[in-house]
Amino acid sequence: MEGSLNVLGAGLAYGLAAIGPGLGIGIVGGKAVEAMARQPEMAGKVQTTMFIAIAFTEALALLGFVLALILSA
Amino acid sequence: MDQFGDKLASKLHHYSVLPWNDVYGSVEAAEAFVLTNYIFFLIISFVVTLGFMLLAARKLDMVPSGIGNVAEAGYEFIRNMCNEAMGKEGQKYAPFIATLFFFILFSNLIGLIPGALPGTGTIGVTATLAVMVFVLYNFIGFKKHGFIGYLKSFVPSGIREMGWGGKLTLGVFVFVLEVVGHFLRPLTLAVRLFANMFAGGMILGIFGIFVVIGVAQLSAGGFAIAGLSTVMLLIMYAFKLFVGFIQAYVFALLTSVYIGGALHADEH
Repeated sequence: MEGSLNVLGAGLAYGLAAIGPGLGIGIVGGKAVEAMARQPEMAGKVQTTMFIAIAFTEALALLGFVLALILSA
Repeated sequence: MDQFGDKLASKLHHYSVLPWNDVYGSVEAAEAFVLTNYIFFLIISFVVTLGFMLLAARKLDMVPSGIGNVAEAGYEFIRNMCNEAMGKEGQKYAPFIATLFFFILFSNLIGLIPGALPGTGTIGVTATLAVMVFVLYNFIGFKKHGFIGYLKSFVPSGIREMGWGGKLTLGVFVFVLEVVGHFLRPLTLAVRLFANMFAGGMILGIFGIFVVIGVAQLSAGGFAIAGLSTVMLLIMYAFKLFVGFIQAYVFALLTSVYIGGALHADEH
């Protein structure tokens, strides 16, 4: 019983942790496309900054992934 | 449906850490020092990277050709990225970052060969790389700004100019937050690469099982599922090729950003 609750918790942990970063990465990507369309000559710099921003946003989802692995192990 | 569960379990088992010569065996690698399936392919990707670079450097011309051209384009890509993230001072770290990039890239791409595994698909390997980066950038920061100077730079200059009251309350708070943030960096570096490579391989495996099971049904519905899964498998395969490249790039980019941050720690 305890094991199955752990697995349920793991699924919930990852699922819930993915909501915010999912929205965040969507916003970052959309804004980056907007910026690149407005100023194509800045595309390289926008892309680099976009990847850095995505990396920071993604970190939250990754913490949820780690928690899920710990809970389900 | 029992057949599906068994096949899925055996396929997922293939992705766990096993002794290298017993990939379909039932016993997971329990001892600490045993050559596992992931490390076996990691060594292969190490040899491939070394061989690729030696081949590329064998004939150095002003106008590169063939394999040298590929290596040079990749290195130039990384060098430009380093230039942007670290400035002139960081140029001497470009070879290190390019090494990381090529090694991670080859090990990701080798994981796409059917039957092979990405060396970066196990947390031990990625954690080693991430801790290496963590130690390096902190060492650079301490060396450049001195022990106290580097620690001071964790607190923004606005707070540093406050009186003692501000320094003791807000300053200590921000300092603790920054230290925690610094320790999260290697964790996220390691988990990002590991999770992408591990989960990507697993998705390919699951669609592969769908194809096999669909064909085995010998019915119209089964063939439809198999056909759909084949299309999805091809799409995911292309996507994983892209992800392997992007993850190597992101790892290299973040490394250069962290080193750049340590180099220019006193500027904000």
